[in-house]
Amino acid sequence: MNRLVKLALLFAAAAAVGHVALVVVTPYALMRIVTQRASQDGAMVNQFQFGPRTTKDLRGVVRPSPDLAYSTCVYDLSNGPVRISAAPTPGQGYVSISVFAANTDNIAVFDTTQRPGGVQFVLAREGQQTPPGAEVVISPSNRGIVLDRRLAANDELFAAADQARRADTCEAISAPTTSTE
Amino acid sequence: MADRGPLSRLTFASTIALGLIAGLFSGWWAITGGMGGQNYSGWYGSPVTGSKDADPWLRARVAISGLLALNRNQAIYFTRKTDDAGEPLSENCRYSVTGGPLPGKWWSVTVYAADNYLPLNQDNALSFDATEVISDARGQWSATLSPTRPENGAWASTSKAGTFDITLRIYQPEQRAQDDFASITMPKVSKIDCGGKA
Repeated sequence: MNRLVKLALLFAAAAAVGHVALVVVTPYALMRIVTQRASQDGAMVNQFQFGPRTTKDLRGVVRPSPDLAYSTCVYDLSNGPVRISAAPTPGQGYVSISVFAANTDNIAVFDTTQRPGGVQFVLAREGQQTPPGAEVVISPSNRGIVLDRRLAANDELFAAADQARRADTCEAISAPTTSTE
Repeated sequence: MADRGPLSRLTFASTIALGLIAGLFSGWWAITGGMGGQNYSGWYGSPVTGSKDADPWLRARVAISGLLALNRNQAIYFTRKTDDAGEPLSENCRYSVTGGPLPGKWWSVTVYAADNYLPLNQDNALSFDATEVISDARGQWSATLSPTRPENGAWASTSKAGTFDITLRIYQPEQRAQDDFASITMPKVSKIDCGGKA
């Protein structure tokens, strides 16, 4: 084969590898940065952290909405499932609970319009033992983030949302359980 | 050109290195163009944002410019960087945003600086939402994007936003809107003046 053709093919193959690697790795890398930051370098996993009112100074996650109150729970399923519970905001203000896997995919979302009494579910890996009767969300990764968003477009709404979300729980659970397989 | 034999190690290594660099640059170029998606009257949105259906390129774009975005049954997002004339949005200008009823339980329009964060101003007016605009009998409303507060009406401050973009979020969108973004009558963004001059 012509030497220049060989070099061109080698260049193209290397370029394809570099391109695809960057595209595939970027979401995982950014999610890892966010989970490390949100969990205070892994010290605060499987528990909710309640963020302050969104202002210009919030620089943890890009494009935050100033109209929402955010709470995060970095989950770690390596030692078993995690139970999530989120209380509604009085007055039926908008609340959504969303689950993001390590690749940033939004793998589940619930809101208090569908569930006015609050949101409860168990987060588990495929094959992990879960409590009988529990609603189970299967995560494709051990780690990820649960995000509680509440409408809080002004100080008064933020105060109400903040008080309500303090009842949220995100905690590791153990037996008695059943298999998800 | 004749074959000059096996590639030297240096040629081999440098070709791979150059290829990797070119690939990384092309990958970065491909994923840093904003949230991507299709054009809906100047607003860009994608039905697969936040979902497991997103291809690797869209997933990476969203991770950079909209990490932790919800999927479309909970919220749909549209972003635009230009006015209706196609000119980049600039804090040196004032804009009128006008629209009608939007197909969701609640919506908001937020200003973001070029670094994808909220502009570093002290105006406490980073967005306007469905509860702030005043609709007429036909449901039509208007708001202002400008670096100083207008005399009246809903307002989002663009002070210290530089060349900015805006994101429209429609929460709990109606089924038809989820199924067909083109069915949404998007707000218009028209320039009022720049530097105080029309």
